[in-house]
Amino acid sequence: MKSRFKKHSILPGFGLSLGFTMLYLSLLVLLPLSMIFVNTASMSWSDFWSTVTEPRVVASYKLSFGAAFVAASINMVFGVLIAWVLVRYSFPGKRLIDGLVDLPFALPTAVAGIALTTLYAKTGWVGQFLSFKVAFTPLGVTVALTFIGLPFVVRMVQPVLQNFDKETEEASAILGANRRQTFIRVIIPEILPAALTGFSLAFARALGEYGSVVFIAGNMPMKTEITPLLIMTKLEQYDYAGATAIAAVMLIISFIMLLFINGMQWWMNRKFAHY
Amino acid sequence: MSIHIKDVSKSFGSFNALSNITIDIPTGELVALLGPSGSGKTSLLRIIAGLEEADSGVILFGGEDMTRIRTTERKVGFVFQHYALFKHMTVFDNIAYGLRVRPKKERPSKKDIQEKVNELLSLVKLEALADRYPSQLSGGQRQRVALARALAVEPKVLLLDEPFGALDAKVRKDLRRWLRRLHDDFHITSIFVTHDQEEALDVADRIVVMNEGRIEQIGSPEEVYDHPNSPFVYDFLGNVNLFHGRLENGKLLNGQVELDAPGIDSAENRPAVAYVRPHDVMIERESTAKDAVQAKIVHIHVVGRTVHIELKTQGLEQFLEAELTKERYGELGLKVGEDVFVRPNQLKVFIPEDYSI
Amino acid sequence: MAGHVPLSYGSRKTVKKAAEEPLFIRVFLTVVAFIFLFLFLVLPLAAIFIKAFEQGIHVYLAAITEPDALAAIKLTLLVVLLTVPVNALFGIAAAWAITKFDFKGKSLLTTIIDLPFAVSPVIAGLVFVLLFSTHGLFGDLLFANDIKIIFAIPGIVIATLFVTLPFVARELIPLMQSQGSSEEEASLTLGAGGWKTFWLVTLPNIKWGLLYGIILCNARTVGEFGAVSVVSGHIRGLTNTMPLHIEILYNEYQFSAAFAVASLMSILAIVTLIFKNMIEWKANQHG
Repeated sequence: MKSRFKKHSILPGFGLSLGFTMLYLSLLVLLPLSMIFVNTASMSWSDFWSTVTEPRVVASYKLSFGAAFVAASINMVFGVLIAWVLVRYSFPGKRLIDGLVDLPFALPTAVAGIALTTLYAKTGWVGQFLSFKVAFTPLGVTVALTFIGLPFVVRMVQPVLQNFDKETEEASAILGANRRQTFIRVIIPEILPAALTGFSLAFARALGEYGSVVFIAGNMPMKTEITPLLIMTKLEQYDYAGATAIAAVMLIISFIMLLFINGMQWWMNRKFAHY
Repeated sequence: MSIHIKDVSKSFGSFNALSNITIDIPTGELVALLGPSGSGKTSLLRIIAGLEEADSGVILFGGEDMTRIRTTERKVGFVFQHYALFKHMTVFDNIAYGLRVRPKKERPSKKDIQEKVNELLSLVKLEALADRYPSQLSGGQRQRVALARALAVEPKVLLLDEPFGALDAKVRKDLRRWLRRLHDDFHITSIFVTHDQEEALDVADRIVVMNEGRIEQIGSPEEVYDHPNSPFVYDFLGNVNLFHGRLENGKLLNGQVELDAPGIDSAENRPAVAYVRPHDVMIERESTAKDAVQAKIVHIHVVGRTVHIELKTQGLEQFLEAELTKERYGELGLKVGEDVFVRPNQLKVFIPEDYSI
Repeated sequence: MAGHVPLSYGSRKTVKKAAEEPLFIRVFLTVVAFIFLFLFLVLPLAAIFIKAFEQGIHVYLAAITEPDALAAIKLTLLVVLLTVPVNALFGIAAAWAITKFDFKGKSLLTTIIDLPFAVSPVIAGLVFVLLFSTHGLFGDLLFANDIKIIFAIPGIVIATLFVTLPFVARELIPLMQSQGSSEEEASLTLGAGGWKTFWLVTLPNIKWGLLYGIILCNARTVGEFGAVSVVSGHIRGLTNTMPLHIEILYNEYQFSAAFAVASLMSILAIVTLIFKNMIEWKANQHG
């Protein structure tokens, strides 16, 4: 029986390591997350539907999705650009900048939140030069989400560019293509899968982000309230059912995103496997 | 189209990758640049293609100066060592690439491109694989796609960088015969880089032997193999036995042993080195000439039709290697531990001044 | 690239290469990248430190030595000590099971390990409220035994465990996959036992990746805000971690104090980045 589940191996510790892994994941991840669906299932369908389609909730979906999408798009464009500059060009301080790119992963989100709010408020260092409001508007939410998603695309595209065979570009040039043609026909298709994966990761992260956004958003219902904040608000009002219903919607979307990302990575590996 | 390389030099910092390279290649010739790694052969090929710029010197294609012309406009075909195929394109798209990126007014119609690519696909015998991606092909198939892609733009010059380097022995042999036939059919002036002497001897019309950024010898395969003009070429093209000694009266002396040193008249009483190829070492049961040396058989191993015999000479106390046909080996009935006489059939003597080893 | 010149002689000379953009495009792209990174990374980081010292060093020192701040720092350190080792252990076990053996459902298991990254931190907090609060699944049981998890330190630890679960495993799985099992197999054939093999062969091979994962896990543990915010109850001096303390100070308009505590966490973030780069450099050196 055992041999059918697992291929033979002389290495020890399979039972122990897999057993511990399964137990830990079940207790810490699967059981808790299933609570969302168990609790949601105890609601009637109409209750559930009216909770998750309440105008204030719908407005929060729009903001969360819209801002996350715009932020991830900005990060895709600039992420590819930054990766390109870091891999292809040499300039003083390059290593420092390369290291700094990971700052959003290392900096606590609350710290990033208050720093960005201070900069982009009406009287802030950057805000005072702008004719439009950034902090406490959807634009502010986008700024915060751009910050926290910044490293994803860079870090996905960078290794692809690094491993990219310079000879492939030379082959293109020898065959008569100019630099623009080489870029569009040869380089972009190579880095597109990585850039899209980075985009999805940044988007998924931005959808769930809370810490950096609450400070800069202003949290006005219908206007600058993101979905995670709404869950928080419902919890503070002890509306556990409402919070759980909205969480269920977000969770399903997150699962779909995860499937999409994994599928894309699988497709990437299969089709463009390095030879 | 003929290629003339005149006085090309290139250095990287203090390292001289190429110094004063001059080669003239007539139209339709297939030339091998042969040398060990670091000899500058790939740098030279990349300079001819315009992928790198020479520090000084001139590259002419058919009398036209190409030195300042950009790669994109040189219209050369280049086959990269690791193929450099476009991974995200099918075989068909890879081959069509060079035609599709032409400026609009020079670009062939869709139909013409289709025809041209199909023609090339049948030339490289990959018609059935047109829709595959490079990752789905074997090494030999990728190499053929790379070649078809380079030929699609109808280059006047074909440059190949270690074209068979990454393939296994059997495929390599097939492909190089095939390249030779292809060249005989199309007569594109071609240069290929290799570090495999057998490959160069087998395929090329002419061989340029390179070492440390300089040309050691240029000649036909027979010339460079039979009449190497330097110890390096001797050593690089096949196995070789060395005898150190002193020159006296046109003889190379070492202890009791006296060897004829043909072609060396002057240079009396100087240290010199004699080179003998293993298949030029004669083994005899009886001493028939005064330059025969007594030797003991140390080891015998049979590789296919040839027999390699390792011997230890008595006078010189040095090891040498001989190569016999299986028939000759059978006639002599040699056994390990036996004493025999060896005699160099063809010997080349170099005086150390000309070289350093 | 046999026959090509060695890399160490790489020329600094700018020659017109076939596969390179003109100089003005290169300069333009570099400048654009610089401006973007300056606006989004450098400026916020600089703002934290400048704001922290705006009212002088005394206010700064007072802010980070005040009892509530010290309590927050202590609690944060406690959470790190409890969380990081457990998740490191989990990461090693999971990576061992996944990379050294072939079994059914492996890719599903890998996906489940990634789940906490895909879940909003607020939801991560919420699920534990649903389990352990007085109205939750185990609420009655906990109440009967007088155990408090939500709005107490255990809740903070559990929520942080959830959020930081994937870090070490995600570093180790690709690393151990690329290393294969041949060295372990060699060790076993030479007579070493399972634990000996792990200590003497596997651990030295994965130490940099492991350390890297631990450092990332540590950074997230210290900085986690959303999940902790849900389960902590914000009791000053008791269940406030450093990020929660910053939030309170900020909302009370004690900006300098908020930025002072934030600057401490930023220093930690910078140290994390330095470590990370050092480890990457080390790992590259060791092949």
